[in-house]
Amino acid sequence: MSAGRVLVIDDDPQIRRVMRSTLTSHGYQINDARSGEEGLQELRNSTYDLVLLDMNMPGMGGMEACRMIRSSSEVAIIMLTVNNSERQMVDALDAGADDYITKPFSTPELLARIRATLRRLPQLPGQSDLQPLAAQGVNIELSSREVTVNGRTSRLTAREFGLLTYFLARPNKTIAHRELLQAVWGPDYGSELEYLRVFVNRLRKKIEPDPSKPLFLVTDAWAGYRFHLPQ
Amino acid sequence: MLSFRQAMSSVIVAAPSKERHKEASRVSLFSYKKNSRLILRISAALAFISGTTFVLYRLVPVNATTAGFLFLVSILIVATKGGLVESTVASVAAMLCFNFFFLPPVGTLTIADPQNWIALFAFLATSLTASQLSVHAKRRAREAEDRRGEVERLYALSRALLLTDSAQPIAKQIVHQIALTCEFPAVALYVRGTGEVYRAGPEDLDIEPKLRESAMRSVVVEDERTSLIVTPIRLGGEPIGSLAFSGGRFSDAALQSLLNLVAIGLERASSQNAVTRAEVARQSEELKSTLLDVIAHEFKTPLTSIKAVTSDLLARPRRQLQLEPELISIVDESADRLSKLVTDAIQLARIEGGTFRLNLGTHFPSSLVNGALRQMKSLMEDRKIEVLAPDDLPPVRVDSELIQVVLTHLLDNALKYSPPANPITIGARLSEDKVIVYLADKGQGIGEDEQGQIFEKFYRGKNERHLKGTGMGLAIAREILRAHGEDISLSSSPGNGSEFSFGLPVAAGGMPQ
Repeated sequence: MSAGRVLVIDDDPQIRRVMRSTLTSHGYQINDARSGEEGLQELRNSTYDLVLLDMNMPGMGGMEACRMIRSSSEVAIIMLTVNNSERQMVDALDAGADDYITKPFSTPELLARIRATLRRLPQLPGQSDLQPLAAQGVNIELSSREVTVNGRTSRLTAREFGLLTYFLARPNKTIAHRELLQAVWGPDYGSELEYLRVFVNRLRKKIEPDPSKPLFLVTDAWAGYRFHLPQ
Repeated sequence: MLSFRQAMSSVIVAAPSKERHKEASRVSLFSYKKNSRLILRISAALAFISGTTFVLYRLVPVNATTAGFLFLVSILIVATKGGLVESTVASVAAMLCFNFFFLPPVGTLTIADPQNWIALFAFLATSLTASQLSVHAKRRAREAEDRRGEVERLYALSRALLLTDSAQPIAKQIVHQIALTCEFPAVALYVRGTGEVYRAGPEDLDIEPKLRESAMRSVVVEDERTSLIVTPIRLGGEPIGSLAFSGGRFSDAALQSLLNLVAIGLERASSQNAVTRAEVARQSEELKSTLLDVIAHEFKTPLTSIKAVTSDLLARPRRQLQLEPELISIVDESADRLSKLVTDAIQLARIEGGTFRLNLGTHFPSSLVNGALRQMKSLMEDRKIEVLAPDDLPPVRVDSELIQVVLTHLLDNALKYSPPANPITIGARLSEDKVIVYLADKGQGIGEDEQGQIFEKFYRGKNERHLKGTGMGLAIAREILRAHGEDISLSSSPGNGSEFSFGLPVAAGGMPQ
């Protein structure tokens, strides 16, 4: 059985070859594209579980491709880049990527990230009992991952959904950064605070009536985040 | 408040004593000339009055009243033509003539009728007043004319300063324009910011110390002997330079305006320079960061391949390790790619750093071409290469190793950027005292917008980034040719392929007779 269908989008033929060889030997089904444009076309034609997207490409470039993919699909995206500046990392996550890996990387690390990104979210305690949330003009439908705020509906990506359900299971309780990262991203994570910052902001944009003044997803300075549920 | 001239005269440059002696004689010569001209004019005025008297007394005899009026007219004529002295002398002379020849008893300077005394004094007063007024009006008219000339010159200068050409130092243009529009025989401008002195005009001014002193101490230095004026140029109270000129007549106000114009012009120049410097610095920063990005990308791509393969192999359980030809060949190719990158980078750094020396020798063009082809043999495989390098071309004086590097880079480029089915032509021909070597492919060609960029380091064709390459080949080729005193040229248009060509100097004695 295939571990997953992965689309590699990179302009360098050698990187495409390496990805194909190594990932295939670990049970993934691989296809590749030479540019953002070609990748978008490929994503329209077939379904994939994950996209490995190079950031530095001629043409539309990785960042723009990421935004375009995210605007129409919830496929998992891991960006590949040679620049490990935090600024670019945040930009990539902001553009909708789920994770980010800096070249040169080791195959085991890449595989771990792919697994973490594709991992089915663990059945959170009491998730099945979670009721659809409806408060202050916000309606979160857990079964379809849809959020409606003041009549405007948006869909959550898998990672955003995982983060939200973890919060919903622990309302009004401060959750530490590390706990959130390990629960939602996986046991290999724990210090990637920028991931949390970006994903919490993304969630706020989708579920808060005014993202700059959050009602639900509240920051507890130095400690973590808390989901404030009006009683 | 002191007037400008007063301020100027507060600092007078003392001339050395010998000079002063010469100066004294020069001054007396000058005043002698001036006096003789005045005597001449007075004589002319007196002659005119005598003439009038003669006409009125002898030729057309008239009565005393008519004579008085006609004398007045004569005095007015003298006053409009001459100065105050001549007209006053003429007035007195006319009064005496009037009394002697026309007022009874005629022929004497006495007057019988007391009423005639009144007439005589009225005549004198009228003639003196009229001549004063006339001279005054004349002076005002001349001054107005001077002001108009100054304003015109200042206007012309301000226009010229606005239209300065940024390719030349603005201070140089300013001083040239002042000499031209103000017709000063000599002008010099000292710019404090750069410490440079700019000169213009047919005469030469060698007064650098005075210019510096004037700018440093913000004082006006005036030398009446040579009619030289050195004056500081201030901007917001701060002296930013000084201007010296000789032989010009400028009013205080006009001179002040001129200095303001120069100050504004210099300020504009310095702010323009600052903007240019900032722009250059910004561009160089941008270039540096682009270069770093490119280097990071170019080096990290093969490293990523190697790391991905080796880390994958290392992570496998030992017993599962087996020979993976695909993975090994990826590592091998990546190592080659890194090696080429390093070689090219070192080559470029050596050439650009100027640490290499040309090992010039006499070589036949055909052997250079064939040498390069031999080096590229493994890459050419089934490609069709047409060689047009006749054996009878004269030998050239070049560094054969480096010229072969140029040729291999060009060949490598042609192989990469043209479809495998299309032939590549490499050849050489004689043109005057040079052998022109050319290399043509039938690829996509290069658009005009890209032609200037392709010789830049790390530049790679717009649609060709998927091809392997370091982006340094053409930059290396150009630098090598420049070291030979030559350059590389490109003729290409999209759809028609590209032809790179360069000249090589024919060795001395190598030209066929």
